[in-house]
Amino acid sequence: MIVFSNVNKWYGHYQALADINAEVRKGEVVVVCGPSGSGKSTLIRTVNRLEEIKSGELLFEGQNVHAPMSSTELNRLRSRIGFVFQSFNLFPHLSALDNVMLSPMHVAGVKRGDARDKAMQLLDRVGLAAKAMSYPAQLSGGQQQRVAIARALAMEPPAMLFDEPTSALDPEMVGEVLAVMRSLAKDGMTMMCVTHEMGFAREVADRVWFMDAGRILESAEPETFFRNPQHPRAQRFLSDLRSH
Amino acid sequence: MNSVFEILRDNWLLLLVGQYPNGPLGGIACTLILSVLGIVLAFPLSVLLALARLSHWRLLNWPAGALVYIVRGVPLLMVILWVYFLVPLLIGRNVTGFVTMLCTLVIYEGAYLAEVVRAGIEALPKGQMEAARSLGHSHLGAMRLVILPQALFNMLPSMLSQFVSTIKETTLGYVINVPELTFAANQINNQLLTKPFQVFFILAVIYYVLCWSLTRAATALERRIEAKRAGPRATVAEIRAAGLVQPVAAEP
Repeated sequence: MIVFSNVNKWYGHYQALADINAEVRKGEVVVVCGPSGSGKSTLIRTVNRLEEIKSGELLFEGQNVHAPMSSTELNRLRSRIGFVFQSFNLFPHLSALDNVMLSPMHVAGVKRGDARDKAMQLLDRVGLAAKAMSYPAQLSGGQQQRVAIARALAMEPPAMLFDEPTSALDPEMVGEVLAVMRSLAKDGMTMMCVTHEMGFAREVADRVWFMDAGRILESAEPETFFRNPQHPRAQRFLSDLRSH
Repeated sequence: MNSVFEILRDNWLLLLVGQYPNGPLGGIACTLILSVLGIVLAFPLSVLLALARLSHWRLLNWPAGALVYIVRGVPLLMVILWVYFLVPLLIGRNVTGFVTMLCTLVIYEGAYLAEVVRAGIEALPKGQMEAARSLGHSHLGAMRLVILPQALFNMLPSMLSQFVSTIKETTLGYVINVPELTFAANQINNQLLTKPFQVFFILAVIYYVLCWSLTRAATALERRIEAKRAGPRATVAEIRAAGLVQPVAAEP
């Protein structure tokens, strides 16, 4: 569903992504892990073209994401890819409900009443129906991120991207966000998650990609990856994680 | 002090509306209409200028930047004189001092407000635009629905202080015979001849009261919007807390 072939990206002379060849299949959950600065976030942000690539090809549902296209086409493409940010990025001037209703109404042209019903369903799904009228400032970090997930789901995207969704959260709020992600995975959503939550990776992921210095060094099923990592850099990464 | 009240008693109508209905509307009414129209018409211009300044498209970006820099780089009086002599040439007939002053204020305030709007937009976290774009909103759609509502709210105090400046700037209309408040006061002074301090004391007090009450109104308005954002059932303490916590919670 998401296919990277020979994707390269540079920031000036620094190569952020190097020869990325990988695929996320439909219904699959891929966890991208690796040390910070390894290019995980850059990689996930190329999928909906928040970052441009230098060379190579990136297909989303067969469509070449980085081909020249009109801005209308790009907007339509982006609306089919749910994106969840580390810093939530809820719109602080809108209530939780309005945050979720905004793009269905203004991008998809759904009528207000229908958008409202749908948004309430989604907020209910992330356990926040009671907070529909609250503004982001009144919600905890975990609640904000769950609203952000509902907002991304509102356009009914066939795939969801998560860029370190729990990294900005207090530890006691990580669980509630992971629970929502887990239930999405269970419902068969195609997901690509950059995360440091190795428990989540082990339990939910179909594949783990390990990245360092802009390359995917290892791609394996979680059991194999965690029990028997092949690449020395991955072995060191995992032992560093275990040591604390 | 007595003479102040005497002057007020004899001339309050002139100070309030000028020669109206026997002549053009003037005095405080003229000053207020000029300021309000000036800022109201300058506002959309300033948003367009700011968007053009932020555009990656040079055809928009450069002319807007040039206009803003030129207008901000010359004194208001210079713009007044330019408009005064240039507009009749351009449209081929004379215009009233009021229209001249209004055009000047729209251009001048438009350029200043454009920088306020631009700063307001640039001060928002980058993630707001990214989130809107990744949901599929167009650049302009994201501006209209996500960026501008926040930026303009954050700018409310600056915009009101700009409005207060505008009120003060209308006094310069005096040089091209706009019958605003300063002009009216000067008429009174010319009649009385011997009481300039009293007359201009009254003038100063009127301007002060106008501007001070507007500043107060701005503060009250800001509080109300903040209270609304803090939620319908929030207590005063929560409102205060939300006002303080908000930027941190929105962008940790």
